[in-house]
Amino acid sequence: MKKMLFIISHPPYANTHNTELLEAAMVGAVFDGDVSLLFRGDGVWSLLPDQHGEKVGYKTFSKMLSALPTYEVDQLFACAGSVADRNLSMATDPAIEMLSLEQQATLIAAQDVVIGAQG
Amino acid sequence: MKYTLAIHGAPYASQAAQHGIAFAEALLRQKHTIERIFFFHEGVYQALSTRVIPQGEEELLEKWQGLGSQGIELAVCIASGIKRGVINEAERLRYEKNASNLAEHFTLVGLGQLISAINDADRYVEFPS
Repeated sequence: MKKMLFIISHPPYANTHNTELLEAAMVGAVFDGDVSLLFRGDGVWSLLPDQHGEKVGYKTFSKMLSALPTYEVDQLFACAGSVADRNLSMATDPAIEMLSLEQQATLIAAQDVVIGAQG
Repeated sequence: MKYTLAIHGAPYASQAAQHGIAFAEALLRQKHTIERIFFFHEGVYQALSTRVIPQGEEELLEKWQGLGSQGIELAVCIASGIKRGVINEAERLRYEKNASNLAEHFTLVGLGQLISAINDADRYVEFPS
């Protein structure tokens, strides 16, 4: 099975891309893929704690995110610069590793395939 | 080489169809193979049979179906599709809707078909929204 990186770069409630990508990542893991997730750009808004998706008529993204370890999706990364630019305090569960741009380039180069790179 | 393509953009909201179709046709001309074309996110709207194309505009649905008639699998994500109203006859009956609208040559499939197509292909290319 391939090494698959899902890149989440949309804010969580602007559309349902993040939810759909997360579903694809879970299926990738169920199929024994080596799955990683990278949140960058406005995608890092997805990592805020205490979200209430129901207030805008969507599933709560943070709840889906906290289910990821159950699917053995535990390689979770975020762009440190994107988080700092937005001055965010992120949820601590599940654990997300902060990466510099250079580390993100290394992560991407190590993959067989990147999914969701441009939305 | 064996390619898997993913179409993420809707008609009129993106150029995903124009780019995806041109890319797929170029692949075939150069004797590459296409494992599957997967319609994801708003890309599922490409599969609507009920579109009426104004005169003077390109018949993109016919072009997709041309690829389908050459044996290329046109796979619409069922999770993305049904919530946006893109349904076939089986889903119409299941959810008791009054019409189905999935165009000929397209099929509704699960996300596993995206993952397996990515896994079986040499290259995976997305056409964004």
